[in-house]
Parts: sequence; C-alpha cells; structure tokens
Amino acid sequence: MNIMLWTLIIPAVAAALVFLLPRRAYYREVFAILVAATNLILVFPLFRKEMLFSFPWGGGWGLEFSLRVYPFASFMILSAAAFALLIALYSASFMKGKDNVSQFYAYFLLTIAQVNGVLLSNNLIMMLFFWEGLLLTLFGFIAIGGKESFKTAVKAFVINGVADICFMAGIALTGFIAGTFTMSGINIPAQGLGSVAFLLLMIGAIGKAGAMPFHSWIPDAAKDAPLPFMAFIPGSIEKIVGIYFLARISLDLFKLDHGSWLSYTMMTIGAVTILAAVMMALVQHDFKKLLSYHAISQVGYMILGIGTCVPVGIIGGLFHMINNALYKDGLFLAGGAVERQTGTTDLNKLGGIGLKMPITFACFLVAAFSISGVPPFNGFFSKELIYDGALERGWIFYGAAALGSFLTAASFLKLGHAAFLGKRDEQYNNIKEVPWTMYLPMIVIAAFCIFFGVYNSYPIYHLIQPVLSNMALDGNILGETHANVTLVIVTIVVLTAAYLNHRYGVKKTGKGIGAVDHIHYAPVLHGIYDKAERKVFDPYDIGLKFINAFSYAAFGVDRATDWVYNVFSVKTANVFSNSIKKAHTGNFSMYILWSLAGMILLAVWIIKTVK
Amino acid sequence: MNYFYADGLAVFMAIVSSLVGSIIVLYSFGYISHYEERNEYYFMVVLFLGSMMGIIFSRNLICLYLFWEITAIACWRLIGFFREKEHVLKADKAFLVTVFGALMMLIGFLYVYEATGSFDLGVIGHSTVPNIAMALILFGILSKSATLPLHTWLPDAGVAPSPVTALLHAAVLVKIGVYVYARLFVATMTLDAVWHTVVPVIAGASALVSAGAAMIDKDMKRIIAYSTISQIGFIFLGLSIGNEVALAGGLLYILMHGMAKAGLFLCAGIIEQSAHTKDITKMGGLIKTMPVTAMAFLICAFSVMGIPPLGGFFSKFLVINGTLQSGHVWIALMFLFGAVMTIIYLFRIFILIFMGQTKVEHPVKEGSFVMLFSVALLAVLSLAGGIFINYPADYVYTTVQQLMGVVK
Repeated sequence: MNIMLWTLIIPAVAAALVFLLPRRAYYREVFAILVAATNLILVFPLFRKEMLFSFPWGGGWGLEFSLRVYPFASFMILSAAAFALLIALYSASFMKGKDNVSQFYAYFLLTIAQVNGVLLSNNLIMMLFFWEGLLLTLFGFIAIGGKESFKTAVKAFVINGVADICFMAGIALTGFIAGTFTMSGINIPAQGLGSVAFLLLMIGAIGKAGAMPFHSWIPDAAKDAPLPFMAFIPGSIEKIVGIYFLARISLDLFKLDHGSWLSYTMMTIGAVTILAAVMMALVQHDFKKLLSYHAISQVGYMILGIGTCVPVGIIGGLFHMINNALYKDGLFLAGGAVERQTGTTDLNKLGGIGLKMPITFACFLVAAFSISGVPPFNGFFSKELIYDGALERGWIFYGAAALGSFLTAASFLKLGHAAFLGKRDEQYNNIKEVPWTMYLPMIVIAAFCIFFGVYNSYPIYHLIQPVLSNMALDGNILGETHANVTLVIVTIVVLTAAYLNHRYGVKKTGKGIGAVDHIHYAPVLHGIYDKAERKVFDPYDIGLKFINAFSYAAFGVDRATDWVYNVFSVKTANVFSNSIKKAHTGNFSMYILWSLAGMILLAVWIIKTVK
Repeated sequence: MNYFYADGLAVFMAIVSSLVGSIIVLYSFGYISHYEERNEYYFMVVLFLGSMMGIIFSRNLICLYLFWEITAIACWRLIGFFREKEHVLKADKAFLVTVFGALMMLIGFLYVYEATGSFDLGVIGHSTVPNIAMALILFGILSKSATLPLHTWLPDAGVAPSPVTALLHAAVLVKIGVYVYARLFVATMTLDAVWHTVVPVIAGASALVSAGAAMIDKDMKRIIAYSTISQIGFIFLGLSIGNEVALAGGLLYILMHGMAKAGLFLCAGIIEQSAHTKDITKMGGLIKTMPVTAMAFLICAFSVMGIPPLGGFFSKFLVINGTLQSGHVWIALMFLFGAVMTIIYLFRIFILIFMGQTKVEHPVKEGSFVMLFSVALLAVLSLAGGIFINYPADYVYTTVQQLMGVVK
C-alpha cells in the first residue's frame, strides 16, 4: 500500500485504539507520542516529492479517492506533523489527572489523520470530506473542557459550519466550472461565476484559519477548552490548513490578477482582522484570552500577504504562517506552564514569577519578540516581506499592518510585564519550573524561532521558494528586497514607539497590567471597548438574532397555515352544512319542487351536450 | 396485463423502507410491550409496510392509488392509537388532508388517462402530461410528503407512539410522495420545463418555513417532525431540479435521512417514556442518565446536518452540487441557508434535552436493551453509510443511468 494512505489510516485507527488502552498513567500518553512520531517519520520521505495515488470511491460524479503529494503540500504536511509531535509531548504532562483524557487523545489523533487527508487530497470532494470532518473533532475537543464548554463547542461548530457550507457550495461551483473535481486539473479564471466560486472557497479557507468574521469562538474556547488544544488547533493546525488552501486557490486553482477586486477583498479582510483583533488583545486581562486574540490577529497578516498577489507578499504570508505556528505554540505552551504551576491565568493575580520559572520565561521572551517582529527573530523577517508586498499594493494596507505591529508589541510588553515581572504575590513564592516534557517542546520551538530568524534565508530559499516554483511564481522572487531599508527603519521606529508607550503607561498607573489603560479608556475607544466586551459586535450573536427573528416569522406562516385547517375549513364546513340543513324542512311538496328543478337542469344539460 | 414491475429505483426504495421499517419494528418490541391492543398495532404496522411495497412496485396508476389509500387508513389508526380525544382529532386531520390530496391526484390520473389512453406506466412511457394533471398529482404528492402548505398534519401526528412516528414521519410514509414523484415524473412522464423551477421553489419555501418552526416549537417530537418537513424539501429539490447529480443526491438522501431521522425519533421515544414529557424546556441534563441515547441522538443529528464522515454529508453535497450545476444559484442559496438552520435547530434540541441542569424531578433511566440496540444500530448505519459510501453510491449511479435512459 502507498505510504500516503498509511498517514491516513494509522492515526485514524490509533484514535479508536486509545479507548482500549488502560487508564493508568502514561499508557495513553506514550501511545499518542509514538503515533505522532510515526506520522512524522512517515511524512518525512514525502518532502519535496511528487506522487499520485488514486482509486474510484463510488458513483460517477467525480468522487474519487485521490491522494497527491507535491512540494507545497509536502512542506505543509511536514510542518503539521512536527507540531503534532511537539503538542503530544507537551500534553503528556499537561493532561495528567484531567478528565476525558482518552477522548482528548482520540480527537487529537483523528485530527492528525484528517489534516493529512486535507493536505494530500487531490480531489475536491474528498478534501471537503476531511475538511468538514474537522468540525467534529473541533467540537469534541472543546466539549470535553468542562461544564460550560458545551455552549462554546456549539458556537465553534456553528461558526465553522457556516463557513464550511459556503465552502461546500464553492467546491460544487468550482467543479462545475472546471468540469472536474481533480485539483491538479483545475485552473480557471477568477471572473464572472469563477469569482463567486473563488469568494466562497475563500470564505471557507479564512473561516478555517479563524479570520474575521469567523473568529469569535476562539476567545471563548480559550476559556473552556484544554490548553494543548488551543496551541494545536487554532494556534497552528487550522492556520496551516486554512492558509494552505487560501494559497492553493490564489496561486493554483484560479488565475487571479493583482488588480482583481478579489485581491482587494482579501487584503481588506486581512487588514481589518489584524487591527480589530489586536485592539481587543490589548485590553485583555487573561493570559490565554489575550493570546487567543493574537491567534486571530496574526492570521490577518497571512491573509494580507497572500492577498497582495505579488510574489514577495505570498512568500511572506506563507513564511509568516510557519513562524506564527512556532511562536504562537510557544506562547500558548508558556501560558499553559504558568497555568499548571500557579493555577491561574488571570494577569491581575500573576506577576514576578519570571525568576521562579526561568526556562518558561526565556522561551516566552523569545516567542514574544518574534511575534512583535523584533529583529533578528523569525517574525521580523516574515512581517517585512508582507510589508513589502502590502506597500506595493497601497500604502493604506501597509499602514494598517504597521499599526498592527505597534499594538502587538504594546500588548506583549504589557503581558510579559504583568505576568513575569513586577511584584510577586506571596502564594507564588514556592512555585517551581515545569517538568521536562513541558519545557522541552518550548525550548525546541524557541530554538526554531531564533534559527528561522538568524538564518532566514534557509526557510525562505530552501523550504518555501522551491515548493512554490511550479506555481507561476518563476523568476527572482526576492528581487525587490533591496528596497527594504526604509521598511526596516519604520519597523524600528514603530517598536521604539511601542516601548515608549509602555513606559508612559506603566509610569501613569504604576503597574504592568495598566500599561495600556490610557488607550483602553481613551475618549471614543472607551465606548467601543465597552460594547465589544458586551459582545455587541459578535457576528455569532448577531447571526443568531437574525435567525431567531426569521424563525418567528416562519413559525407565524406555519401557524397561519395550520389555522386554515384547524379553524377555517372547519368553520366553512359548518356554515355550508348548516345552510344545506335549512333546505331540509320536511315539507313534501318542497322536495318535489327540488326534484323537478333538478330534472329540468339535467335535461337541459343533456340536450345541449348531445347537440 | 401486468400490474407490478421492479427496476433499480423500486428495488432501492424497497430496500430502504424495509431496512428502516424492520429496525423500527424491532424497537417496537421494547416500546409497545406494556400497552393494550398490541395485535392491532402490529397488524397496522405490517399492513402499512406491505402496502408501501405495493406502491413501490405498482405499474398501474389505479393500483398505485389503491395502495396509497391503504397506507392512509393504516396511518389513521396508528396516529390515533392511544384513542384519546385529542389524538383522534389529530388522526382525523392527517387522514382528511392526505385523502383529499389523494382524490386530487386521482383526478390527475384521469387527465393522464385522457391524454395517453392508459393507466399503465409502461404504456404511458415518456409522453408529455398536461400541466393540469401535473398540478393535481403534485397536490396529492405534497399532501402525502407533508410539504408546505399541506404539511401541518405531520407535526400534529406526533401524538402517535414513537415507533409509529418514526415509521410515518421519517422513514416510510413521507417518502411515498417523494418516491411517486420520482416514479411518475422522473422515470416516466415528461414535464413542462417550468416545473423544474416551480417544484424546487415550493420545496425551498417548505424547507425554510419548517426549519424556522423547528427553532421555535417546544415539543420534542414536533420539532423532529418539522425537521423532517425541512429535509423532505432537500429531497424534492434533488429529484425535481432535473439534473443527474441532484437526482442521485436526492435518492441517497432518502436512504441517509431515513436512517438518521428514524434514529432521532426512536431516541425521542426512549426519552419520552422515561421523562414522561415531550416538552424540551422541562428536560435538560439527561446525558448523565442516558448516555447511549444521547450519543445515538448526536450521531444521527450530525448525519442530518450533513457532517462527514456521516452519510448525510454526501447526499446533501450532491443535491447542492446538482442544483448549482443546473444554474439555479438562488435556489441553492435558499437551501444553503436551510442547511445552516438545520445545524442550529438540531443543536438547540440537543442542548435543551441533554445538557445543562435537569428539570425532570423523578429518576430517569435508560431505555430497554432492544430499544437502545435499535437506536445504536441506526447511528452505526449512518456512520457506515458515510465511510462506505461507494456501495450505495455505485448502486444509485446505476439507477440514475437507468432512469435517465442510458442503460435499459
């Protein structure tokens, strides 16, 4: 059997086997780590290979079980497998003693199989099968979180379900326009009906990646779901899957020009997502919730980068996706370490634990510098590429991205200061560093953050550029990077401004957590923040209100129809029979008169028809 | 003269109805065991299933009409099975609406006879039918398949015993209309092109209105019944849009929906018997006491929503795919909205029944073994239908080719 098929079967079967394992310590943990490692070993030889494997799957409507690996997909699948292994290692300690561990690992392994399925599918329907299947594991992951988490799970399911239904329509439309569902055979212009198909597929992709307006479940899940889930699903896997497909449709499945309105739509969504989410992140007082808003905000950069439709922007978007998965995993894992040792993620209670947990703090610092775009960490380089692409398409997009960077840096200064520095509460005087299974993944991630930053030419030229070579991106991709000097200066100015802003805020309020209060309580912003905290802008709540109003109207129509049967027809029948009843008077001569009249009518009708 | 015959479509429908029907009868062993008049119950159920087979294999329109009315009579007795005054009224309503529809259909058959000179489907062949005949027959079909504006008897019929509602609402009775539509207007007669728009629009309106009602209503079985009406809209869409892919989707939908929706109704029966109420606002938290029922309910609900790897996914996708291929973008949008509504109302009912704090005061226990076995079997079948989609899909593909006249 083909190696690609094994990457689907092994994790899926393992997911079922988890339930059979003894519930004692480390059986399930070790098993999950072994499966994740096997998966990594299996996908490793696929890297930068091309392979096709298919057999018919039933019916004759393009439904085919078709797997194809080619350089781009192989790169994505390798990244996904690597993150899965890190999370498996980390979960071993984190999930210990928690409820529903078997379910957690079952969903975890099933997700690996499904992600492999999405990334390897060469048939759109089959990809949709795995893609929508991720809904179920997502739902399960959140639902096992606790008592209140079921509502969040439903919210996540519905929001992603809406995006996936658009995606389904997009796939149907694409298959119709192209005349085939085989992905390697599709290359259609993004015009007319094609642009509708593109838009629908884009909605599905950004919905999976968690961009606005499909984001509002992520902060809620941060509160309810197990933390390794947050690092694994919204932090890395869904970004990989969503951005992978966004890149596929922009570069490969559709012919998209720069000037197209679709490109502007993508860039606008990206810019709005960056700004709105980072504004919310800025004012959070909870470690995990703050990070979850950044999980939304960072995806904006990727969409902006790919949306520019210029090579440097696309490269930047993809590089940023890998970098984001790295540092966001690192940040979530650091947050989980803090939660495990202190029992809280509330920034008002935390503080001063940096020296008690030096490894965690160091890894946090590296990841925070990366996400803020400080040179020479990896986030800096991918952001510069995106800036370059954005500037080429319009200064307003560049401006939004730069402002986003300022706010990102400000919020991480606040987070680091409030959590790790400042005054320490007495109850945290005796906390210790986390066990090695938890800090090892963090160290690996931090090391990659530095490596991909210092040797940024390695990932750009050896991982990303070659895999894009068959994607109409020939030529010298980074030819225009010499113009970057101005951009670098702007970035440094922006970061300095963020630092000064932080100093100003700390001086004003006297503590790290109040560093951005002057922005939070600024005249106009204050009102908007207030409304946002009350979830006035949550698209999910707005949508539910609309659905409810619609339902009441529909129920009205239904009741009105029922009235016709239950009341109207009964009354009509009554009136009719009552009036007939009046004719039955018991008067014999009257009946003879009725009969005569009837006979005459009959006779007239017969004579008329015979003629 | 030959009154009966079988082709791919008829065999498919017969397999689906008898598969789901037999699981429902199995479940009845547990459900009905402590009621009086079990003889009448089993007599009527088996009569119903038998006459259903009669409809499926009929080759003659009058023959079809006779079996059609027998199902109506059996259904009338079954809905009013508990003989309470309220229940008998509901049974009468269902009987009157469907029989009225059937009489309209009979008139339609007469028009067909006038146009073609025969009641025999083999003789009628692909001749064009007058629009008036089509309208009258459609009226009868819509009344049997509970489609707007002839649908309100179906939620009312929820007073019947749960296996009966499963049989009537989910698996078999409401599929009669759909099947006859396929038999008459897809496999046999040729329609005016306008019907390929009119019927989907009616189906779409029906799907949306009933989905909205399912969001509001508080009676568990009524909600599931509204959901059936809504899903029947999808089936009608698949059959009527006049496109091969959508037709295949519609046929698969009959199978997948039959299994999943029967599962939902049978779960509702278990809940009703142990919680002694059908009002979902008075339940809650039942997942702790009835985990098997809850899981079966959830899996069947996912299948109705059309989430892979469950079977409902493929049928929904093929229907939407076919609709888009035939160029009816607005109709497709209407149904996509309906699909979103489906997700929301099914979660609403699941949360209110199984999650949160329980409001049932007496102890609630899980159903008997045979009942749990039946619902679990339906859930497993829904899952298997998705993973091993190739078997039903291959069969349906051949059937569609046969219907479209490619393979004789």
